[in-house]
Amino acid sequence: MSPDPSWGKRADLDVLNRDIRRVDGPEKVTGRAIYTHDVRLPNMLYARTLRLQTARAKINAVDVEAARQLPGVVHIHIEKEPGSEVRYSGDDSIIAVVAAETMEAALDGVRAIVVDLEKLPPVVTEKAAKAANAPLVNYSRNADSNVTTASESGDRAAIDEVIRGAAALVELDIEIPTQHHVCLETHGHVVDPAEREGFVHIYASTQNVSGMPGQFRRPLERDSDTIRVITPHMGGGFGAKFGAGLEGALAARIARETGRPVHYMLSRADEFTMAGNRSGSKQKIRLAANAEGKLIAVDLDAEKHGGQGRGALPGAPYRYEVENVSSRVVSVKTAADSNRAMRAPGHPQASFGMESAVDMIAYALKMDPVEVRRLNLSSEVHSRQLDTVAKEIGWADHPNRTAPGKAGDNGMAVGIGFGAAGWGPGGRASQCDVTVNPDGTVVSATATQDLGTGARTYVAAIVAEELGLQVSDVLAKIGDSELPPSVASGGSVTTGSSAPAIKDAAHQAREALEAKLEPVLGAAVGGYLWKDGQVSVRDGDGGQSLSWKAVCALLREPLVVRGKFKQALYRGDIHGIQAAKVEVDTLTGRVRVLKMVAVQDQGLPLNRMALRSQINGGMIQALSYGLLEQRVFDEQDGYLLSDNLDLYKIAGPQEMPEMVALIDDEDERESVCGMAEATIIPGHGAIANAIYNACGVRLTKMPFTADNVLEALYGKV
Amino acid sequence: MGGPAGRPSDQGLSRRSFLKGAGGAAAASGVLAADAASQEAATAEGAATLSGTTEVELTVNGQARKVSVEPRTTLLSALRDRMDPALTGAKLVCDMGSCGACTVIIDGQPVYGCMTLAARCQGKAITTVEGFGSPDKMSDVQDAFCEKDGLMCGFCTPGFVVATHAALDRKPNADIDELKYELSGNLCRCGTYPHIFEAAKAVQMSRAAGTGEAQEGAGR
Repeated sequence: MSPDPSWGKRADLDVLNRDIRRVDGPEKVTGRAIYTHDVRLPNMLYARTLRLQTARAKINAVDVEAARQLPGVVHIHIEKEPGSEVRYSGDDSIIAVVAAETMEAALDGVRAIVVDLEKLPPVVTEKAAKAANAPLVNYSRNADSNVTTASESGDRAAIDEVIRGAAALVELDIEIPTQHHVCLETHGHVVDPAEREGFVHIYASTQNVSGMPGQFRRPLERDSDTIRVITPHMGGGFGAKFGAGLEGALAARIARETGRPVHYMLSRADEFTMAGNRSGSKQKIRLAANAEGKLIAVDLDAEKHGGQGRGALPGAPYRYEVENVSSRVVSVKTAADSNRAMRAPGHPQASFGMESAVDMIAYALKMDPVEVRRLNLSSEVHSRQLDTVAKEIGWADHPNRTAPGKAGDNGMAVGIGFGAAGWGPGGRASQCDVTVNPDGTVVSATATQDLGTGARTYVAAIVAEELGLQVSDVLAKIGDSELPPSVASGGSVTTGSSAPAIKDAAHQAREALEAKLEPVLGAAVGGYLWKDGQVSVRDGDGGQSLSWKAVCALLREPLVVRGKFKQALYRGDIHGIQAAKVEVDTLTGRVRVLKMVAVQDQGLPLNRMALRSQINGGMIQALSYGLLEQRVFDEQDGYLLSDNLDLYKIAGPQEMPEMVALIDDEDERESVCGMAEATIIPGHGAIANAIYNACGVRLTKMPFTADNVLEALYGKV
Repeated sequence: MGGPAGRPSDQGLSRRSFLKGAGGAAAASGVLAADAASQEAATAEGAATLSGTTEVELTVNGQARKVSVEPRTTLLSALRDRMDPALTGAKLVCDMGSCGACTVIIDGQPVYGCMTLAARCQGKAITTVEGFGSPDKMSDVQDAFCEKDGLMCGFCTPGFVVATHAALDRKPNADIDELKYELSGNLCRCGTYPHIFEAAKAVQMSRAAGTGEAQEGAGR
């Protein structure tokens, strides 16, 4: 027998650890890739939502008679019966759904519904939720307050004692607004109720293909093994798309009741209202250090703002090593949509607090913030990455390294800041089938979904590497719940779970082929070299070889093997450092990011180009979070004001700085894992630190819009 | 989503109001009124006369396509929802001219399909992302997007491909800042911008060297 599957040394690889063009690139760039949004079936209905636009109300009557009369309107589902309440702005806002022959007719139907309602106080802000006579919007069983204790640890009195003897103490109040995922493809499904080959088919924009059929069992009133979910392509998830949601259940129900396919994708305003968010937070942090810059104590008082959710915040000291820690965290419930997992849930919030505090310690001690980080991050990897990033951003030549700079006569100031990241990407349970056909074609199949990460490409590339083929020789099949099961894509687990299973399947296929080769070429299993479409006897004289096609011709029938997750091929423990260089206009408050640098490890890079894309993506989402994004409610009536991309800003081409995405090639681990979460964590903190470095103003309130920068510079106007 | 339940939606009512105001202009394009008299009548009677479904012919990617539209039907909806086979490359994302995912070319100019009435596009040359190339025969911009990984989830990609073609037609030698400006009508969430800029630069270089393949997209 040949040895267990292994990724092998970087130098021996022909396909992986290179820039690989995405296998679905040509379909995507030519508009041929079909997303759920694009599915068109004969006789299909389009569904649109009537939502309460404010946060809370008592529903007295829903009159759909006029709507029913409209041409094209086929079916109206009433979600809120008279006497019911809309309890929060979110999926509970759905009053009715109209299904019609066209999208326009469905909207006509929505507009024609007359709702008699009584508005209730909105309670969409934490201030309103905490007010003395606030209505209870915490709908958890037995709840008697909108504020609940989430966690409490450490001895505050002991911390106070330590702090008294500290060489440096910093205190800060962090304020972070709610952020949205903003997947460009909204949530939604196309449900085709006609049974074909024993299945009802559902097209879903999901990051959880294998986990979806079970979620439709109840609304479709059938067994989940007769429900097939298909996700050929999907337009972004970022943690918001694990569940079918109320919109999925309603699409299924309307399809079942009308007997017609139903296309129900959320509108953009629906999406902002009910498709989740990254929870906001307030953090009061006290951080103390000794004279050498070693952190000795941290105390945290924090609120998590997750609407109907509990919010996410891993708290202090986050990535840093601090011996004495005390922490109190509460959740403040409001009548707003629940937070969901969003790329590293809670971590960008916690990182912003601690990176700001650590930076303040460095300047308080007149020390280099890079050195203070090196001293307090336990990992050697972080230490070398700090050097890499400091060099790339030009830290050694920067004038203000231990004290902030000042604006020039024109009001402009330039600064550099840093932040650290880490993550423990999971790995488990995925499976993959590799099929080798007698004609030489190869199929690699697993249910997984490609959120834009490039998963589909490595599903083919890993097999190509193992069998000495090119990526284009292997057909990757994904996004289908009838394929071998795969994990949901959350917490950077996809690569760590799927890649080992794919590798295992490819390795088994290779061994099975080598067993067929033994009578032909003479060597035992494990004694062959697969390279450039040829198989030859390892350590042979070169004469004993066959082409790939000739090998496959030895097969009488397709060879199918099932690969499973292998712990030995995976290791999840990753590190990153990022830096930002900014220009602050101290007269207008405008911040421009000039350059961002990130270095990231992840074990073996499967596709270097796709990794750089993801590192860029992490930096850009952090930049966007830091400079632009915030959910805004009208406090008085509870309207969600930022319900489209005109008022909820995300970074566009003009905000882009020079970006340097570095793969940490000093990491030589022969293992794989995902890395997307880590890259989004420290960027906005690095930007805030760069603003301070530029002009001595500490931004503790996100986003760093001109008004917040001016307030930090000159006080509240 | 108007009515007593809340404020008027941006997507429906604004277009309807626009139509009322622009009734004469829509009719003048010859789509909805065949002669001067009915055109006048249409203008006088306003939206009532403009309601209903009308068959129009649109020239899309060099092909004449018959499609039934309502006066309020956007070009994006005509392409995606009303043609058979549908052209779903252009995407509906914001439905209000904020993101560029629906960008198409009309008579050489990039426009937002979600902000353009289908009825007003008759007689004009419309090019969608599908018209620039196919997976087997990509345009130079499309190929460069693949080569530089200027795409991730791919949902904004058709809009960016079309916008990049338009940008390079308008400013063949655009520097990086000009490119950012030219593409600033489009948004991406995954973070593909740096690689899109690299793709555009690669196209500029290959076109300058005269080695660019398929310089002109089909149907233009």
